Amino acid sequence: MTTTTEGPVLECLALEKSFGGVPVLKGVSLSLELGTVTALAGENGAGKSTMMKIASGQYRADAGTVRVRGEELSAGDIRDAHRLGVAIVPQELASIAHMTVYENLFVGRELTTRFRTLDRRGMSRRAAEMLEVFGVDIDPGARMGTLPVGMQQIVEIVKNSSRGAKVLLLDEPSSAISEREVEGLYRVVRQLRDSGVAMVFTTHKMAEIRALADRVVVLRDGGLVLDRPMTEVSDDDIVSAMIGRELEDLFPPLHTVPRDAEQVLRVEDLHVAGQAGGCSFQVRRGEILGLAGLVGAGRTELLEGVFGVRATTSGRLLVSGREVRRRSPAAAIAAGMALVPEDRKQSGAVMGLSVLDNGTLPRLSQFSVAGWLKQRARAQSVGAAMESVRLRSRGLGQEVGTLSGGNQQKVVLARWLTDDVQVLLLDEPTRGVDVGARSEIYRIIADLAEAGMAVVMASSDMTEVLGLSHRALVMREGGVVGELDRDDLDRPDVQELIFRLSSGLDPRTDQRSATTDQRSAAPDRRPEEGDA
Amino acid sequence: MSATAAAPLPRRRFSREWFVAQLIRRAMLIVMLLVIAFFSYRSLRFSSLDNLQTILVAAAPFALIALGQTLVILTGGIDLSVGSIIAVSAMTGAAIAKANPGQVWMTVGAAMAVGLLAGAINGFLVSRVDVPPFIATLGMLTAGSGVAFVIGDGAPINGLPAEFGSIANTRVLGLQIPVILMIVGIVGLGIAMRRTAYGMRIYAVGGNRTAAEIAGVNARRTLFSVYAVSGLLAGVSGVMLASRVSSGPPTLGQGYELDAIAAVVIGGASLMGGRGTVWGTALGLLLIQTLNNGLDILLVPAYWQNVIKGVLIVAAVAVDVWSVKRRT
Repeated sequence: MTTTTEGPVLECLALEKSFGGVPVLKGVSLSLELGTVTALAGENGAGKSTMMKIASGQYRADAGTVRVRGEELSAGDIRDAHRLGVAIVPQELASIAHMTVYENLFVGRELTTRFRTLDRRGMSRRAAEMLEVFGVDIDPGARMGTLPVGMQQIVEIVKNSSRGAKVLLLDEPSSAISEREVEGLYRVVRQLRDSGVAMVFTTHKMAEIRALADRVVVLRDGGLVLDRPMTEVSDDDIVSAMIGRELEDLFPPLHTVPRDAEQVLRVEDLHVAGQAGGCSFQVRRGEILGLAGLVGAGRTELLEGVFGVRATTSGRLLVSGREVRRRSPAAAIAAGMALVPEDRKQSGAVMGLSVLDNGTLPRLSQFSVAGWLKQRARAQSVGAAMESVRLRSRGLGQEVGTLSGGNQQKVVLARWLTDDVQVLLLDEPTRGVDVGARSEIYRIIADLAEAGMAVVMASSDMTEVLGLSHRALVMREGGVVGELDRDDLDRPDVQELIFRLSSGLDPRTDQRSATTDQRSAAPDRRPEEGDA
Repeated sequence: MSATAAAPLPRRRFSREWFVAQLIRRAMLIVMLLVIAFFSYRSLRFSSLDNLQTILVAAAPFALIALGQTLVILTGGIDLSVGSIIAVSAMTGAAIAKANPGQVWMTVGAAMAVGLLAGAINGFLVSRVDVPPFIATLGMLTAGSGVAFVIGDGAPINGLPAEFGSIANTRVLGLQIPVILMIVGIVGLGIAMRRTAYGMRIYAVGGNRTAAEIAGVNARRTLFSVYAVSGLLAGVSGVMLASRVSSGPPTLGQGYELDAIAAVVIGGASLMGGRGTVWGTALGLLLIQTLNNGLDILLVPAYWQNVIKGVLIVAAVAVDVWSVKRRT
């Protein structure tokens, strides 16, 4: 299979792309050679995904060209890209969950018998062969939806490579899969490389870049800032290229929290439905508590459990010493809690409603008398809240869906600020927000904490946890496995430590401060709580 | 939130873009005016006051169920059962009126209660048992039409007291009671949807249920309530219809759900939920009724009327989809 033609198989030349007047790519060039793996790294909003989508024909570039083996790709034509052998495996998988593995592999080019009927046995046999080449043990007759995401992803990769793809673009391939599955993915990628396929994957995980890539390309704010062979760069080079400045400039200075500050949020052995461990922690007034851990560690679940949108089976929640009813967002809101969820579009804002209506929603009862909305009061109050985060919009009547990512996030945050908030729960507060707005959102969070809120911030962005937390908890499999104070967070080897804790490796013995929370495993369920 | 896609109006008034945007925004209203102009030109009878009354009386029973349907569709659901609920409540009303000739209020109350009960069952199934709305209300559609026949023992209930027949024909300020109910319903609900917390909850749940729940909205309760309201309004509609024909035919209201859904869709609501208005529905409903009426006057056969209605429904949605695409 090895076709070692000299010269690049895919060339992107000076690609430019803007969305709604905001430049996302500013003249980026990139060329790939067969049999290599390139990591495309960068922060959220750096332009990685846009780049991939242009290279795979999903988007049309405003300027610049894409060439495959010297032939120009017709812009914005996925079928043309397929014809030339360029395929993308998107972050949200495009497989058909209700169909079997072999049906997914063959959909669009089905094998048929002499009588023009589907040759199911033939397809199943071919599918088994194709999968066997990669040493993965998947039953071709299994429903796609019953496989773990990692396996689905491998099937998707196999599908594309078996259709003659010579260039594979993998968009955040490991973002949704477990540790165990990652190894399988790595194996498949290496095998494809050895058979002569050119691959690019986007990521922001250092470990992944080290494990897979021959070469690393870093994008920042739509420009290419680094393009070198892996052997020539250190991890620090890559990180500072991604961030583009010292960490201290991105984050506001953290105020200190007095030792005797009042305890605002207290969580006692909270068991979230479907999660193995129970969690206990407390947050003081003015404190920002970071929640770190790998994808699937249960950070989002914990926040949602505390806020009551996710079912919890046992445990106690107290805000300022008063117990809050579990499993009731309304009770949580009444107690002064606020949640800024991870996914704005899925669960943050109602995109079709105006800024004003979104701002009214969390405190409807406060803004209405006998069910009737107080128009002036709500406009004033929501207006002031939006003003306080310096929202840039055409006015309160503008639909939230038409704002930029950073401004949407400000709406999702500021809509709580029309009344006192005691506890602010933030889930991935800067996902999908460009670098400029990120720094602004960090400042807002720090200001809110300084003004007296207790903040819990879950983030998969390690720099965010390190730069903005007074204290951090590391989570794994639904439980808290370690706690780091500010001094720990400032240690040079803290990233390594967090990684070890969150992936279940032994933290080095000299890390006395990383106390493993024994309580999380203790079966001290309250007798009155039945199991769900 | 306008009847069709709320394309943001360009800042400068009376510019060319502004006119185009206005044209798309007000497409429904413009079509309506054109239809009226056409019929008025073709027939003198069409634009008489008497005929307006006829249109309104014909529209009233549809208006009530279309209002309920609007709420349901705004939450992203659908209510297929309103036609059957009309039959059940009409039969209930007729049966009770026959047994207790003097008790007009009891009759009306019982018919409404039956509608509310049927709607509440829908609401329970959708909001608590998580049965898809299409299935839950399809079940109610089928079961309800069966119940209507059971009440009448397989036959229409006739020979009703005069008091029952007079409910729908009583005039207040020159307007028949169903027409007044329609007007009050449209205006009341139209205002409530924009001005009350309840209205906002409906838009929020339909627009993004998870986001609404995180903002503290009890989505299950909201969902339950829209089906209950839809059932209640169908109950009112049923008893008014039975009173107007002064009998209880078990097939009353058959197929009405489709007209109600058509009115909501023509009025610019999205079946995905979260987008649409009561005003749009009212306009869509009046458009359908005006067309029916005008085509009747011009002696266009009923079959052709259905063809025209069908084309109108698809055209309305096509224009809507196109105008949304146009701005992205």
